[in-house]
Amino acid sequence: MIPENIIGKSISRVESAEKATGTAVFTADMKLPNMLFGKVLRSPYPHAKIVSIDTSKAEALPGVKAVVTYKNSPSVIFNTAARTAQQKINQVDDEVIFGKVVRYVGDEIAAVAATSEEIAAEALTLIEVNYEILPAVFDPLEAMKPDAPQLHDCKNGNNIATLIKLPMGDVEQGFAESETVIEQSFKVPVQKHCQLENHAAIAEVSHNGRITVWSPTQTPHTAKNLLAKIFGLPASKVRVLNPPYIGGGFGARIGFCGKTEPIAVLLAQKTGRPVLLSYDRKEDFIASDTRHSGYITVKLGAKKDGQLKALYINAVLNTGAYASYGPDVIAVLGTTNCSVYRVPNVLFEGSLVYTNTTTAAAMRGFGNPQGNYALECSMDILAEKLGLDPVELRLKNIIKPFDKWMLPYPCATSALEDCIQLGAKSIGWERRNEPKVPVNHKVRGIGMACGTHVSNAGPWAIQYDNAYLAVQQDGSVLVTVGITDMGQGSATALTQVAAEALGVPVEKVHVLAGDTDTSPHSLGSNASRTLYSAGLSIINAADKVKQQILDFCAGEFGVDSSELSIKNGIVSCKDPNKGQLKFEEVCDLANHKDLQFVAVGRNKLSNAPPWIAHFAEVEVDLETGEVEVLRFVAAHDSGKIINPTIVEGQIEGAVLQGVGYALSEQIVYNDKGQQAQDSFHEYYMPSIKDTPEIETIIVETEEPSGPFGAKGVGECAQVPVAGAIANAVANAIGDRINELPMNKERVLAAIMQKEK
Amino acid sequence: MSYLQLKCIVNGDLVELDIEPSELLIDVLRDRLNLTGVKKGCKKGECGACTIIMNGDAVNSCLVPAARAQGAVIETIEGISKTGRLHPLQQCFIENGAIQCGYCTPGMIMSAKALLDKNPHPTKQEIREALAGNLCRCTGYVKIEKAVEQAAKIIFEITEGRGTSK
Repeated sequence: MIPENIIGKSISRVESAEKATGTAVFTADMKLPNMLFGKVLRSPYPHAKIVSIDTSKAEALPGVKAVVTYKNSPSVIFNTAARTAQQKINQVDDEVIFGKVVRYVGDEIAAVAATSEEIAAEALTLIEVNYEILPAVFDPLEAMKPDAPQLHDCKNGNNIATLIKLPMGDVEQGFAESETVIEQSFKVPVQKHCQLENHAAIAEVSHNGRITVWSPTQTPHTAKNLLAKIFGLPASKVRVLNPPYIGGGFGARIGFCGKTEPIAVLLAQKTGRPVLLSYDRKEDFIASDTRHSGYITVKLGAKKDGQLKALYINAVLNTGAYASYGPDVIAVLGTTNCSVYRVPNVLFEGSLVYTNTTTAAAMRGFGNPQGNYALECSMDILAEKLGLDPVELRLKNIIKPFDKWMLPYPCATSALEDCIQLGAKSIGWERRNEPKVPVNHKVRGIGMACGTHVSNAGPWAIQYDNAYLAVQQDGSVLVTVGITDMGQGSATALTQVAAEALGVPVEKVHVLAGDTDTSPHSLGSNASRTLYSAGLSIINAADKVKQQILDFCAGEFGVDSSELSIKNGIVSCKDPNKGQLKFEEVCDLANHKDLQFVAVGRNKLSNAPPWIAHFAEVEVDLETGEVEVLRFVAAHDSGKIINPTIVEGQIEGAVLQGVGYALSEQIVYNDKGQQAQDSFHEYYMPSIKDTPEIETIIVETEEPSGPFGAKGVGECAQVPVAGAIANAVANAIGDRINELPMNKERVLAAIMQKEK
Repeated sequence: MSYLQLKCIVNGDLVELDIEPSELLIDVLRDRLNLTGVKKGCKKGECGACTIIMNGDAVNSCLVPAARAQGAVIETIEGISKTGRLHPLQQCFIENGAIQCGYCTPGMIMSAKALLDKNPHPTKQEIREALAGNLCRCTGYVKIEKAVEQAAKIIFEITEGRGTSK
């Protein structure tokens, strides 16, 4: 039974007053005594060998305290993901802090620490580098060809970092049994996180060599372990913490924030002084992770009545210059999109390909939005060919609880059917087939898409998590966890979980996140896992503490602990004559008997699927090609909702990121390998003027594996947005575009093509 | 290096500083006056995180040469809660869940305040125009718009003396 106290209440975020008054501290707001400022020299070429590098003039500039290059920095090869992935993911170590070869425009060559940012910037201009320019390749299909320029030595084929194949059933047989088969290829662009706070880190090295790093990393423990590996230190001698606030993440800060942490540490080691390395927006755009672009092909086979018999998905993803989380991303693209529908015969094949472009890694949805866009457009194409309504085709085929699927954990809960039906009703689905009559050269269309995602990082990554819970002598509760609150509201939701689990008021609970010195290991905030995983750890710790309290009180009451219970902060006995003790009285009594209630809790190594159905109504201007999203309905099953306002906020924000992905956002490369979009001005991320009316529909389920029944939510709402909008645009103009973003130029070209 | 003596009012206090001609207002506020609620998101006037109010207008402090603030009256996020009481905009942002990571929040609130100071009854369209230069990647702006609408109502009630801030 779900307790009724604080779960499901929209309490205000615990930290929002600090953020509203400007007192919240972010990394670059900090000043340490004697602090220096770092700057990074970056490659102007997409692919080159460094023949020679002369830093003497830079070193001679007054105010410069250190210059670092490959010559005086660790040569340890790493991958920001390698410390967290399960072995079967076949991770690739391919990065160093500074190498002798640069592989994209923006790749790190050297860094300077100086007494001011201006002096550091001037010093960069004094570093003399001689390059041998190498041939470069920017498209993954080109890069896979045997004669394409090689970025790394790959055993799977030229520039192929990872090949993955996930089969279930017999896909050949499934297509043979199908009466209708469709196949379509799609192209997806580079998307950038655009979190408002640029990447930054401050490193300090103490006299005994212990390193402290403040940064907005989403995964402090992962960053700590990587720094220990790179600098050859015991992990216990490295501390990574948030300052405490993080100005957004969306996956850009899983592992390191760009390379700010290792470069800041290196400069701090060389100078013996604290160093702040803060990227500017251009560096954030060109030299920190992006979403993977690429090509996705979907083949679907069905019986005449719409029953799916076979699904084949092939993804070629561009991972850029280094593999990073690419192998995990492509695996998640495959498994999530092969698990939306009940299909007996499935095959996913993925190729992760290096090119001379900015490294692609984790971004909200982790491969799933790319695959979902292709899958959901294909479902509409199939529906049209079968003469079925897209809603009907989906309802006929969606996964139901405990259906067989390719994932190693069960689908224990799903409200997808309800989500689809409620969403269809709200958008006015029946209007979809009305004749398209342009009004003022504008025509409207309605579309939908649905999908699933995850609540934890397994089976792809190591996913255990811990929480430390210490009941204070006055009965208040301190919880420390290794996850981070990058703005998604976890600190608040976890406060509610801890309060509920122990039966104490939220005002008496403090959750401290994002500091490796205060928490046991955690995979950190990613994979929509923060509440699910840290919540389970906290409940486990609370259960242990409650048992300690009951055992202690058994002695006080002179009864067996099974005779006692804790509810609403009161310990009471079955025998009413024995009286009762308030929580704070118990803690005070225990303190006077030299006892504190303390426990470390562990999560379960479980995972669970959230479900999503999105509906969009768009208006297409037939003269300009401009698409406006008029109304968006986002129906979600994320299990039991701990804090409805926070969940709505996550959904609304992710929907708008999806609108940007669908209609305007992209980074493209010119023939010199330069990013054509390296600022907000050029990138076209949605502003408040682009926000459609967004309706959020929550359908609760009680997920047995989750904390108080909760499942993941953070990434979910980005997953089906592009598919829903693409299907709405197709409904409006009667033609499909099959490439994102559906910007004015592309939509207009499609309209003109159709008119021919 | 030649210096200018800058005299201006910041959050109600008289500030006198020697500045370099090339200094930007954002750096003076953040680095000299430690008003780090003024956020730096792009330094090109494209994101609005550094928005302050100067002589009644919302401006991107990263685009303003500090010398231009001579004699100006400047308000930053740190100065708008009077006598320990949150400004209605701050209160409404908190209560509506309009704050996620919080990095855009100071600039967003200052743009909204400049609007409401001049136009106490803005339409939805006017709110959108006033906040169009303030980017947010977390919220989708839905709850921000709602917070500004609600704050306008509360401010109107206070100024009309028909009620008090809740």
